[in-house]
Amino acid sequence: MSWKETAEPVLTRMPTVARPEGHVPFKRKLLWTAGILVMYFFLTNVTLYGLQTTTQGGDFYGQFRSILAGASGSILQLGIGPIVTASIVLQLLGGADLLGLDTENDPRDQVLYQGLQKLLVVVMIILTGAPMVFASPLLSADPQVAQQLGIGGRGVEGLLFAQIFVGGILILFMDEIVSKWGVGSGVGLFIIAGVSQRLVGGLFSWSGLTPTASDGFVAVWIGIITGSAELPGSPLTADGLSAIFLGQGMILAMITTVLIFVVVVYAESVRVEIPLSHARVKGARGKFPVKLIYASVLPMILVRALQANLQFLGQILHSQWGGMPAWLGDYGNQGQVTEGLFWYLKPIQSPEEWMWFVGATVTAEWWQVLLRIGVDLTFMIVGGAIFAIFWVETTGMGPEATAQQIQNSGMQIPGFRRNPQVIEKVMERYIPQVTVIGGALVGLLAVMANMLGTIGQVSGTGLLLTVSITYKLYEEIAEEQLMEMHPMMRQMFGSE
Amino acid sequence: MSGSDSGGLMSSAGLVRYFDAEDRNAIRMDPRTVVAAGMLFGVLILVLRAL
Repeated sequence: MSWKETAEPVLTRMPTVARPEGHVPFKRKLLWTAGILVMYFFLTNVTLYGLQTTTQGGDFYGQFRSILAGASGSILQLGIGPIVTASIVLQLLGGADLLGLDTENDPRDQVLYQGLQKLLVVVMIILTGAPMVFASPLLSADPQVAQQLGIGGRGVEGLLFAQIFVGGILILFMDEIVSKWGVGSGVGLFIIAGVSQRLVGGLFSWSGLTPTASDGFVAVWIGIITGSAELPGSPLTADGLSAIFLGQGMILAMITTVLIFVVVVYAESVRVEIPLSHARVKGARGKFPVKLIYASVLPMILVRALQANLQFLGQILHSQWGGMPAWLGDYGNQGQVTEGLFWYLKPIQSPEEWMWFVGATVTAEWWQVLLRIGVDLTFMIVGGAIFAIFWVETTGMGPEATAQQIQNSGMQIPGFRRNPQVIEKVMERYIPQVTVIGGALVGLLAVMANMLGTIGQVSGTGLLLTVSITYKLYEEIAEEQLMEMHPMMRQMFGSE
Repeated sequence: MSGSDSGGLMSSAGLVRYFDAEDRNAIRMDPRTVVAAGMLFGVLILVLRAL
């Protein structure tokens, strides 16, 4: 008996959000999307009950927060972390073809896949949530609440975990609602929401308005120009220049941010077009685009999440294992890793972390810094390519699946026989190569952006994801509008 | 043109994939119920903290 029969009773009974019956008008879709977004922002602002807020130790996800969404110390502490981690596991299993599920054709397998997906997310919520609450000092129980309720510190920790658990499940269902009733997907929406918030903050925040906030790009430059902010020296000296570009002036971060926008939007339009013609209707022509970022930027989030989970493991080891050797990892009093294996595995986040030649902020030797950059680059480029390949395979964008799609739509490649195997052969010339190049390129871009810094510390991956998801969303909205105006198009796009 | 790269199944950043196929046994929830439950849960925690 295969695992399918054994797991079937559980996997088929996973709760799901009902599908809309019939067509959902575009305006209704926008309403659902906006509603979920409001709910998301509301929940990120609800602090956990029983959490000791006076000694906030810092964020678990740290620099990964911008791509994993959610907010530290809130009900949505976990963000989309569990969904992403579960997706990694599924990608690896699916990519290695260990699942034995035919999600292209078999409806039974599709149901099983959906169930497995959900079950894995729940497992990941427990696996990441439990250590955060029970095994680390970053989320600690409020002794006052423990006394009030008379259940002790452990009891309050249990309450904390229960809330984080519910929050994780809510995120999962919110994603499902957006996917089925709204535009785009919840995961994409939450990433854009978080990154955009940081980006706007990094540009426009002003300490005159909120005393706790640091000045954003605009406020700093108004200060510099009007002379109310002091530069450490004349702009013509090395100190002054470094302050303008790297320090408070943030010019380099601004350039990187704009550059990433431009590069991603440009790369979205770089494609190999395979001409198609209709087998029976003469003159009906089309093109199948194989985009440079064919697998989109999404596999990148999987690589970053893998790194995030490694760092998470380091933190848990550090807090639980007193005799952790220094070669494995040494942690500062803020819980940040300062040397050892986990330091090398931690991706570079800002110029201050590696530019040993300008400031005295880098404590490590230059060769250590170079080694760490090398590890980060290798991780992202190789990982980006590998996950892009898996992504293409498991989401039905591979040569075989697309050949079948083209065949089913009644199209053929002019000059070739009308046969799925023949179309597949042609597709095999382009899709794998483009996928690998695209994945590696996106990995390189993400690391470069991180090294040069971004406005609002949104991280290169966060920025790449946001621009690319927004672009996709724009395309999807355009398609929706076209279908609203011409109901006939609905059939052609095959959505109903 | 049908059969392009967005074949209806994939949505932008769809890390979780949803298919049309559904099992009869599955527990179905109205999206309104989910939103209401989520909001109520948030408010409940807010009230608990305020107490």
